[in-house]
Amino acid sequence: MHIPDGYLSPVTCAVLYGASAPFWYVALRRVKKFLTTRLVPLMSVVAALTFVIMMFNLPLPGGTTGHAVGVALATILLGPWASILAVSIALLIQAVFFGDGGITTLGANCFNMAIVGSLVAYAVYRVGAGRAALTSPRRVAAAALAGYTAINAAAFCAAVEFGIQPWFFKDPSGAPLYAPYPLGIAIPAMMIGHLTFAGLAEFVLSAGVVAYFQRTNPSLLKLTAPGASPADQEMSPLAWESTWNAVRPLGAALALLLVLTPLGILAGGTAWGEWSARDFSSPQTRERIAAASQDQAPPVQPPRGLERLCSVWTAPFPQYAPAFVRRPAVGYTLSAMFGSGVIILVCLIGGWLASRGRREPSAGG
Amino acid sequence: MPDPVFEVSAVTFRYHQVTALENLSLTIPPGQRVALLGANGSGKSTLLRILDGLIFPDTGSVAFCGESLSEERLQDAGFARQFRRRVGLVFQNPDIQIFSPTVFDEVAFGPLQLQWPKEKVRAEVERMLEAMKIAHLKDRSPHHLSTGEKKRVTLASVLVLDPAVLLLDEPTAALDPKSASQMIDFLISLRGGAKTVVATTHDLDILEDVADYCFVIQAGRVVAQGAPAEVLRETSLLEQTNLVHAHRHLHPSGEIHSHPHLHSHKH
Amino acid sequence: MNFLERTLSSFVNAMERALYAEELAQANGLLQRLDPRIKVVSMLALVIAVAMAHKLWVIGAVFAGAVLLAVSSCIPLASLARRAWIPVLLFTGIIALPAPFVVPGREVWRIPWLAWPITAQGLSSAGYLISRVETAATLSLLLILSTPWSHVLKALRVFRMPVVLVVILGMAYRYIFLLLASAHAMLESRRSRLVGKLEGPERRRLAAASVGVLISRTLEMSGDVYDAMLARGFRGEVRVLDDFRTTPLDWIMLAVLAALAAAAFYGGR
Repeated sequence: MHIPDGYLSPVTCAVLYGASAPFWYVALRRVKKFLTTRLVPLMSVVAALTFVIMMFNLPLPGGTTGHAVGVALATILLGPWASILAVSIALLIQAVFFGDGGITTLGANCFNMAIVGSLVAYAVYRVGAGRAALTSPRRVAAAALAGYTAINAAAFCAAVEFGIQPWFFKDPSGAPLYAPYPLGIAIPAMMIGHLTFAGLAEFVLSAGVVAYFQRTNPSLLKLTAPGASPADQEMSPLAWESTWNAVRPLGAALALLLVLTPLGILAGGTAWGEWSARDFSSPQTRERIAAASQDQAPPVQPPRGLERLCSVWTAPFPQYAPAFVRRPAVGYTLSAMFGSGVIILVCLIGGWLASRGRREPSAGG
Repeated sequence: MPDPVFEVSAVTFRYHQVTALENLSLTIPPGQRVALLGANGSGKSTLLRILDGLIFPDTGSVAFCGESLSEERLQDAGFARQFRRRVGLVFQNPDIQIFSPTVFDEVAFGPLQLQWPKEKVRAEVERMLEAMKIAHLKDRSPHHLSTGEKKRVTLASVLVLDPAVLLLDEPTAALDPKSASQMIDFLISLRGGAKTVVATTHDLDILEDVADYCFVIQAGRVVAQGAPAEVLRETSLLEQTNLVHAHRHLHPSGEIHSHPHLHSHKH
Repeated sequence: MNFLERTLSSFVNAMERALYAEELAQANGLLQRLDPRIKVVSMLALVIAVAMAHKLWVIGAVFAGAVLLAVSSCIPLASLARRAWIPVLLFTGIIALPAPFVVPGREVWRIPWLAWPITAQGLSSAGYLISRVETAATLSLLLILSTPWSHVLKALRVFRMPVVLVVILGMAYRYIFLLLASAHAMLESRRSRLVGKLEGPERRRLAAASVGVLISRTLEMSGDVYDAMLARGFRGEVRVLDDFRTTPLDWIMLAVLAALAAAAFYGGR
């Protein structure tokens, strides 16, 4: 997912550098305060580690292989801010020395993978793991989910960055100057690869390594597990199978749900109660409403309150079909992914904030 | 009687439920080449780190030239700078000690941290690289060097500060015969009192050449001390501490037997 | 095991690249003789100019300039092709392939059998993308092959990069190769102990354990590295020695490259 030079316009690149800068600044301050003099050796070593992990070819279910970024792993071991720094440093070395990712697009790559990746991974992991013991299988599942979500969030950001290029940046003849595909193509193209292979690689890596540490050195997981309940028993080697079994259904369920979302289109018509003011004047819709409401005819005029409030909010994706997407099935899937992602994120962040709020008063007392 | 360089009194150090050093006391006089003998795990490397103020004992005390070497004392910038200049530690594994991107940067690290002026840093580094015969490596990155070359780089990076005290952790370990012999020559050349040397080793073959005095350490305690010749005569002790072996070998007379022995030359 | 083989070969490629860069940086070419700060500033200016250009021929001109620099710096064009031109063509080329068909605009041709229309705008956009990526990749490769990494880092201070970051980048670079070597040894020994094929879950377990071991060893090592730094006087602040001195050649080349970048800026608007 390393974006090379030339895919994003200089303006986009500048904006993303600008967006990344405050995060880098805060990350450096926090990590310095936390690590003090150990900052230099630890960050160097972890950046090197992140780099090498990105080179690992990981075996995936189905017999394929893939690469992972390891951002969820870095976040779980070191916390989100140190992860932002370490992954950004690894990305810089990859871009400048190895030519993997562009120099003008370094800000974008850091924003997507290091910043968004770390923060999303942290939120998902903390909420997913809750107060489970360090050696509990729940943490493995939470790590897997954190990895999967983080990489897809990063991919989504990259897809949006690509997709807006042809809108804004064209030469006088109308030819796109940078990434040539609009959102309608960029998003599915990026997301398909990441919802499957890349996401799976991240899933496998995060789950696998967290499980490994649970067996060999659970204290490494302590940093991002404040308030974890003490372990009831030592984790036996056989427990590896059980943690992997815990994680697999999760992945399968996610994948299945996403794939089945277009089935929603097959259900014709409008859901009961979800009518707009316009539906009240169209004869076919009126008939359908009546049929679904025990043959009660709907009022001729839409209720006044309904009419007034209808125009207050225009959804960004009306009818689950973003304007720029031509085929309804694609638009539907996109909206499903986007919508579920937003819902998950909001719930997770809300839960995390709530649990923090609950702890603060007791910590002070 | 001049102040001993190091005075270790009843030091105990525990690490992860393991007692590395237990009530250990010894004195290192100035100008001597001292060997700390012990098998792996005896605690000698830990002792070396305590002498260098990298870790601090749980109980007991360490004094450097009469001054207490404690964590608080080392917080003081002036004392720390003095101490780091006067005492240099060469680690056993050169890879962890070479952390800069090039050899030149590595040797320059110490002087730069001690805030020498840049001209002086450059001049001293060049001089040291010449002296250690690694000037041709100065712009190379460390990962392409042989172990012998890396050891010379680590030695150079410590010697450039011209420390009065040299702490060496297993200086001949993992070296090929040629590099090992260069290291031994170097240790022999330090005879005469210009520097105080404390080296850990379990290589008894070179003991009489490179050391003026030795301590035998086992399970975190000093179990014997004396001049090398004396210590080498205590074969039962040496066997107990796993410093000599007793495998079967062929005698010139044609007999095969085993007894405690060292492989060494005697002139 | 497929994944072990591929991982090992990617490690070897990375180490080989570093070795090659080190060799070429010692050669006696034009770029090698320049002050790293000049190189870093000019390369960046050229990459930005290429990114901003709205005209294909401008990008082409900078590319030609880059090739000229390579030739005068003893950098074989075959190396550039192998390390930059061909990989970019394979990656970006494939991404750009649908563009002539997908981008709306004035039709210039139709594929005979399939009747797929190709638009002029589609062709231009594919051209912009590929040429930009190739040129930028060539420029940064030139920088890396002609300048030792430690010099590149110290030159970055020209952009006010904080010293602590320069030191971290230098150490990270050093440790990348140490880790690659040790991970290589670990994976090789695992590979040699494998008899027969492993099942999927077993393979994943092996991969995860390898990464886990690497992480544990490395985190332990960082404690030792910290001790080694302390022992040499490190107290949290770091200093670097940068002894770059400019020669007349540097100023001439700076003028040339700056002129090229400026021309690209204005020509490409």
